[in-house]
Amino acid sequence: MINRMVVANILHRPVRTVVSILAVALEVGMVMVVVGLTTGLLQETAKRVEGVRADILVQPPGASFFFGLTQAPMPIRIGDRLAEIPRVYAVAPALFQFNSTGGLNIIYGIDMASFDRVTGGFVYHAGGPLAAPYDILVDDWYAKANRVKVGQTLNFLNHDFRVAGIVEHGKGARLFIQLKTAQELSGAYDKASIFFVRCSDPGYTEPVVNAIHQLLPRYQVLSVKEYMSLMTSNNMPALNAFITAMIAVAVAIGFLVIFLSMYTTITERTREIGILKSLGASKTYIVEVILREASLLSLVGIAAGYGAAVIARKALLAAFPTLSIDLTVEWALWAALLAMVGSLVGALYPALRAAQLDPVDALAYE
Amino acid sequence: MEPIIATQDLKKIYRVGRVEVPALRGVDLLVQEGEFLAVAGPSGCGKSTLLHILGGLTPPTSGNVLVDGNDFSVMTDADRTRFRRHKIGFVFQRFNLLPTLTARQNIHIAQHIQGNGYNPHRFDAVVNMLGIRDKLDHKPYALSGGEQQRVAIARAVICEPKMLLADEPTGNLDTENSQIVLNMMRALNRSFRQTILMITHNPEAAAVADRVVRMRDGRIVSD
Repeated sequence: MINRMVVANILHRPVRTVVSILAVALEVGMVMVVVGLTTGLLQETAKRVEGVRADILVQPPGASFFFGLTQAPMPIRIGDRLAEIPRVYAVAPALFQFNSTGGLNIIYGIDMASFDRVTGGFVYHAGGPLAAPYDILVDDWYAKANRVKVGQTLNFLNHDFRVAGIVEHGKGARLFIQLKTAQELSGAYDKASIFFVRCSDPGYTEPVVNAIHQLLPRYQVLSVKEYMSLMTSNNMPALNAFITAMIAVAVAIGFLVIFLSMYTTITERTREIGILKSLGASKTYIVEVILREASLLSLVGIAAGYGAAVIARKALLAAFPTLSIDLTVEWALWAALLAMVGSLVGALYPALRAAQLDPVDALAYE
Repeated sequence: MEPIIATQDLKKIYRVGRVEVPALRGVDLLVQEGEFLAVAGPSGCGKSTLLHILGGLTPPTSGNVLVDGNDFSVMTDADRTRFRRHKIGFVFQRFNLLPTLTARQNIHIAQHIQGNGYNPHRFDAVVNMLGIRDKLDHKPYALSGGEQQRVAIARAVICEPKMLLADEPTGNLDTENSQIVLNMMRALNRSFRQTILMITHNPEAAAVADRVVRMRDGRIVSD
């Protein structure tokens, strides 16, 4: 019976209902998309690094494992010393260039020969390898998103680059230029941001990591396995703070709208609450009616939020095809829990206020 | 036989800011079970306050009030609510039906709050007596004043309360509907031996009752 009354109340005030549902949907959708974007970005970046097929990553001291956040170059000759370590099959240096023209991109400055040796070589969809200093390789996702063709000129780092080839995605970056060009453009002559180290067999990773640690005690040496496990927002304080802030904003929106909605409801329905009290409804009963109403609004809002997240994902991917948005079941459940708890907390004060109403005053309310 | 209502020196004082407004100034009243009592008097004489206290909606300031053997003056708000749920039915001048529910649901909600569930025999008997069977699926806005008041009466008596407290039940009705509602209440009193305490300032309505008590300035002036 309470449920029927709750549904009737919700249907009786459609504008309030729609606004409340939209607020909860916004909350759920926002949480899912923000987390999905960051998780997707991290996972996609990690996958691309894994796609280089190196076993070990060597970076200078204090470098971020989220490439591109710091360039922190180190002497290129370190590569020769790494290559001398037993069971090292190949070493490929790369210099990261952070480009913000026409979107945010990390460009890898690479030495084609060593990079091919570590990765096993690019798969070309069109064109061929880097030949001239201002040649550039773009991956197929970037090419599709930006309608790039071989031979076309692209402006990066305030220079024009000729697209030499379109390669299969998944080899570290989406854009590759020659290492020497990258060094010249950044003034980091004979420097590299990272060394991708491939062992003669992945089983040798641990002894090789130990050997590198001995050789370069202060440097950051990570097996790719470790790197993959570290690529979560929990290991990136700035990203984690951003996610937390966005979730807090989303929850605050849901909480405040439900609070206002239920508070208004109590005022509007003072007389009805008086009627229930005259029939002998206890304070618990009144609180239950209000909280059930908030729960129902929240449930519909959560469902709408899921729909909104899926639609937002599709729209974002259509507009920015290189993005990766990972909508996970885990975060769908977290978003639902946050929305439900936020709604119930938001409805609690109005519910308690309704329960405390004096029945005589409530019945006399105009 | 023990009276179902017994009040002694019942007083109620409202505070409006720093001003004390005495609504009841010592009411002594006895009502027997099965009695149909009308409380008449001009506006502001305290009759609604008396009804609210007898219905457990508000506590008295002083004095004793025994309803079916329960002393309201010492009961907590929760105890009075529980008592009201099981023993008292209210009918109001403004009908006070829940606007979002149908007539049937308005009656069911009383049963749901009472917690004893749906009793089809009682439901049929009440609905038939009040002549609202064909109106059960209508919402209040689709019912006339008389029909709304009959639904309100059905809701008030569906759980077989010990007392029916009616606050100006014909105050918002025309003469014809007033007569119908009064006849219904009379029939309920006779058929189910329903104790009824009705407040009215209408002498014609009061005349339907077995006994008429008159109030003025917070006191009973004639019985």
